Amino acid sequence: MRVAQCLEVWKMGTINYLESLKLQEKLVSDRKTNKISDTLLSLQHPHTYTLGKRRTDHNMLIPMSQLKKIGAELHYTQRGGDITFHGPHQAILYPIISLREIGLGARNYVEKLELTMIELASLYGVKACAGQKGETGVWVGERKIGAIGVQISNGITSHGLAFNIDPDLNYFKHIVPCGIADKGVTSLRKETGTMLPAEEVIHEQLISCFARLFGYRSITLKESSSVLSQNEKIE
Amino acid sequence: MASRALWASRAASYLRISVFHRGFSTVLKDLKYSDSHEWVKVDGNSATIGITDHAQDHLGDVVYVELPEVGASVTQGDGFGAVESVKATSDVNSPVSGKVVEVNEELNNSPILVNSSPYEKGWIIKVEVKDTKELKNLMDSEEYTKFCDKEDGNH
Repeated sequence: MRVAQCLEVWKMGTINYLESLKLQEKLVSDRKTNKISDTLLSLQHPHTYTLGKRRTDHNMLIPMSQLKKIGAELHYTQRGGDITFHGPHQAILYPIISLREIGLGARNYVEKLELTMIELASLYGVKACAGQKGETGVWVGERKIGAIGVQISNGITSHGLAFNIDPDLNYFKHIVPCGIADKGVTSLRKETGTMLPAEEVIHEQLISCFARLFGYRSITLKESSSVLSQNEKIE
Repeated sequence: MASRALWASRAASYLRISVFHRGFSTVLKDLKYSDSHEWVKVDGNSATIGITDHAQDHLGDVVYVELPEVGASVTQGDGFGAVESVKATSDVNSPVSGKVVEVNEELNNSPILVNSSPYEKGWIIKVEVKDTKELKNLMDSEEYTKFCDKEDGNH
């Protein structure tokens, strides 16, 4: 892996899924033409279920009408991976980076995303590990604590990882998470014996783990208010 | 891994190139290569396209291949489909422009062929080439080998 240059981190707060998709599309396009450098979005979503390119609808266990009742949205995407849930108290990172510039292929990239979450978990004394073959993601025993689903277009990444700090795990009961029927889901809250700090702190630790593992030399930070106003200007 | 080494040796002796077992990817002599790691075998104005051994190795096990429709147009350097591996979808670009005349339906049942046989059974599409002059934009096997070495250089 070559030395990466600078990483621009955007802290988005809670952002609607479709908005984040539109933003990522624009950023991927800008990254391809080198208008921007490697960018990392740090955010949460409201209650949202998403499917990947293979459209594995059969892993959604409730009808659309019930989705509305529980206040959740469903979106189809072009990312890899199966069905998953995003919600409050789940930390999401969407790296928009050039894999070619740092000499990483899909497999190594995903391994590093797994390591990012494994490192974060270890800060709280939680021994997590990468999945076995075919079970990409981060596990504590038989329980999944972090999910990955990525899209790579002309070597530029989008979508990324989701780490369960303390989401409402009941929402996972409405799906076969990641298409794996016989394993459960878990969260940092459930697995750690230590007190959790404010979530803002955990988000920042996740960003640090990512930046360190990918070898970025410098990080610049953009808070969400300036991000959104810049976006409005662009549109 | 043993069967891959055996396949590589067979392919190598058939094509009379040497394969160094230093654990990196096989490059076949008579193909042309793009900088996004696709190969093309041209016969007149008929082209067979797939992804290289280097590409499949860096992707991980392929679980799904998104194929274009027969009759679709492809353009040199543009995406025509995608593969999924390790929860990542990666686009596949066409090394030539033209019209898709056949897709490898076998990949719907056995996407792993892309990994186990990237230059033979794992071919992805066949194209009626629009302009064979475009081939000069591609790399030959020697240039592609150097390109891969450079890309992987700092691992």
